[in-house]
Amino acid sequence: MLVIRPRSDFEVNVEAEITPELATKPVEEIRRFRVYYGNRLVPLEELFDLEKKGDEEVLILEGDFSRVKWVGMGMQSGEIIVKGNIGAHCGAFMKGGKIVIEGNADDWLGAEMEGGEIIVKGNTRHLVACPYWGDLEGMKGGKITIEGNAGNYIGEKMCGGEIEIKGNAGDFIGTEMKDGRIVIHGSCGYVGGDMKGGEILIGGSFELVPAFVKMEDGFVGDVNVGGQGKVKVLK
Amino acid sequence: MLHIKNGIVIDPKNGIIGEKMDIFIKDGKIVEEVEVNGCKTIDANGKLVVAGGIDLHAHIAGGKINTGRAMRPEEMRHVRQKTGKFRAAVGRTLLTSPAIGYEYAKMGYTTAIEPATPSIYVIHTHEELDSIPIIDKATLPLFGNWHPVLRYSADKDIEKLKSFVAWVLERTKGYGVKLVNPGGVEAWMYGGNVKSIDDTVPGFGVTPREIITSLIAAVEELKLPHSVHIHCNNLGMPGNYETTMETIKLAKGFENERRQVLHVTHVQFNAYTGSSWRDIGSGAEHIAKLINSMDNVTIDMGQPIFGYATTMTADCPWQFELHKIAKAKWCNRDIELETGAGIVPYVYRPKNPVNSVQWAVGLELGLLVDSEKIAVSTDYPNGGPFTSYPYIVTLLMSRKFREEEMKKAHPYMEKATSLSSIDKEKSLEEVITMTRVTPAKVLGMENKGHLGVGADGDVVIYDIDPLNYSSNDWQTILKAFENPLYTIKSGEIVVKDGELVGETWGRTFWVDARADTTTEIIEADLEEYFNYYTVKCCNYGVKEAWLRNPVRITAG
Repeated sequence: MLVIRPRSDFEVNVEAEITPELATKPVEEIRRFRVYYGNRLVPLEELFDLEKKGDEEVLILEGDFSRVKWVGMGMQSGEIIVKGNIGAHCGAFMKGGKIVIEGNADDWLGAEMEGGEIIVKGNTRHLVACPYWGDLEGMKGGKITIEGNAGNYIGEKMCGGEIEIKGNAGDFIGTEMKDGRIVIHGSCGYVGGDMKGGEILIGGSFELVPAFVKMEDGFVGDVNVGGQGKVKVLK
Repeated sequence: MLHIKNGIVIDPKNGIIGEKMDIFIKDGKIVEEVEVNGCKTIDANGKLVVAGGIDLHAHIAGGKINTGRAMRPEEMRHVRQKTGKFRAAVGRTLLTSPAIGYEYAKMGYTTAIEPATPSIYVIHTHEELDSIPIIDKATLPLFGNWHPVLRYSADKDIEKLKSFVAWVLERTKGYGVKLVNPGGVEAWMYGGNVKSIDDTVPGFGVTPREIITSLIAAVEELKLPHSVHIHCNNLGMPGNYETTMETIKLAKGFENERRQVLHVTHVQFNAYTGSSWRDIGSGAEHIAKLINSMDNVTIDMGQPIFGYATTMTADCPWQFELHKIAKAKWCNRDIELETGAGIVPYVYRPKNPVNSVQWAVGLELGLLVDSEKIAVSTDYPNGGPFTSYPYIVTLLMSRKFREEEMKKAHPYMEKATSLSSIDKEKSLEEVITMTRVTPAKVLGMENKGHLGVGADGDVVIYDIDPLNYSSNDWQTILKAFENPLYTIKSGEIVVKDGELVGETWGRTFWVDARADTTTEIIEADLEEYFNYYTVKCCNYGVKEAWLRNPVRITAG
């Protein structure tokens, strides 16, 4: 287990591609692990206090990490527990393991994620589980649970996996979605533009683009792209 | 001064096939022999020494590739080289300008031609060409759908057409005449296309046949170093090989003792039989037979590579068709009264029957057409990145490698093409001809593509012994062509052991053909034309002084 605490408030963003695997490495190597502070490459220990407790594959982030990006990028196993807020791109390209965020998450949470689980106790901002600009596939597997609210653009071009939002969400949910499942317990804005497949369940109110056909148990579309996506009311 | 000693030279133009000899370079040129004392020596004992490669058709600069870069942000996440001694280089199929120069040098190429520039955007093309390090370059302006060209062709007024071509080449600092789907792009402005070379272009009463023959006549009378360079009508459509054959036959009425009178480009995309995507087949044999029987037409392959590509041509109607087929992003540009352009990202998949046929057709052409009449190209970035040239060359040289690669392709390829029955393996001499001698001859560049005295000091040393290699050992061939031991550009070592070690700046060639023409006869037409244009005549084009290293070539 490795506990990481920021030494001070950061003046610029930190880009730290840290994964739970780091906790299994020798202390010397952890200290020398290189991260970007603005445009400078610096050793991890220059920015953070590091405390290693055993060889468990667990990272614990204590303090304000809201300016620290790319935490858990591409992680394969293990666990990250964030005690406060976390910066953008958390869990991007994630393949396995678990991230628990007790505060809020920034943009691009779980972007292009392929497996594993992310749990956010607070809110998230925009572009949850989206593909990076130009890529053709978003989230492919795994699960994201958001206990609070989420921003705009959730699950764009999603190909698998599940997103559950206990609060409300913004506009453009499941745009160009191909497969997978999005569950929103609260209300949201526009849903399912150019949706080709998959399922969106919504508890509260929502707006639908006009290209959906009303069926017995919900709406099917988007007919503009010959899609078979389903938008249903959550019971 | 540079002395390359004991290398085994293949220089087909000068009849040297695998002879051990020394090469001397002084002031960027190959010379007879220099005082060896104090001059830098490279020992190339047992290694292949050839001239620098020439790519005669690669969209490396200008509005199209730049719009493609803007459309595909994901391309820029492929990092080829980080900043250090040299500039950062990124791009998967759409490379940045520095990356283009570096990657060409890294596989032993020293010259590349941007083959389609709308004249109104030529200032951008030259800015980008000037940002490409190491290689020599030139650009071909687009003529096939330009209103004055259509009008002069309809009137059969070759004198005016000659004056117009010479005027445009001077204004744009262009190297030759490029035609893309002649007449078709003008028809596209009304939502249509032309289906054969005898369809009428709306508004002008002229046919593609007349446009092509008029321009060949003008180019031949102007004695330009490069012939008409054509992208045929009906590109990409099943059954289009007949249109291509008819276009090739148009060259029969013309003669030129120095070079071809018509260069038909990326023929792979124009060599399909069949009536729909369901029964598409290869017309490569028909075309190869016709090309081999004529001595005034050359072609290049346009080989597709399995993987990512970005199609970009001035052929707007075809790009719209492709957008509908591939269901991919599409950008269309109508470029005033000159031409147009379309861009669609694409992936060539081995499991796709049509893509497999395309892959096989390119190779059939490469194998069946005489090496003096065909050049290697991928029509970068339409068929894939130019960095695949070593892969193409190895496929042509090794039947064993072809068999391995054919296993990946869709079984429909077996039925629709005859690639698997072709046993031919091109020799080193033949592939050196296809990548050096033929492109230089097609472009009319006398100092390129060979190692004779007076030639440019562009020399490449590959780690392969031409007197002792086996075509079955394709790994060695591929590795040798991918990682040259040395790439020497104008006497400077730019690549060593496949790694970049130096950065130089190449030249931009342009052709001045004004000697026998006068702008007087087209002045009234130009005045009327520019009355309705977004740019004034006096502001049109670029000045020679704006280019980094311009080289003026006088036609004649």
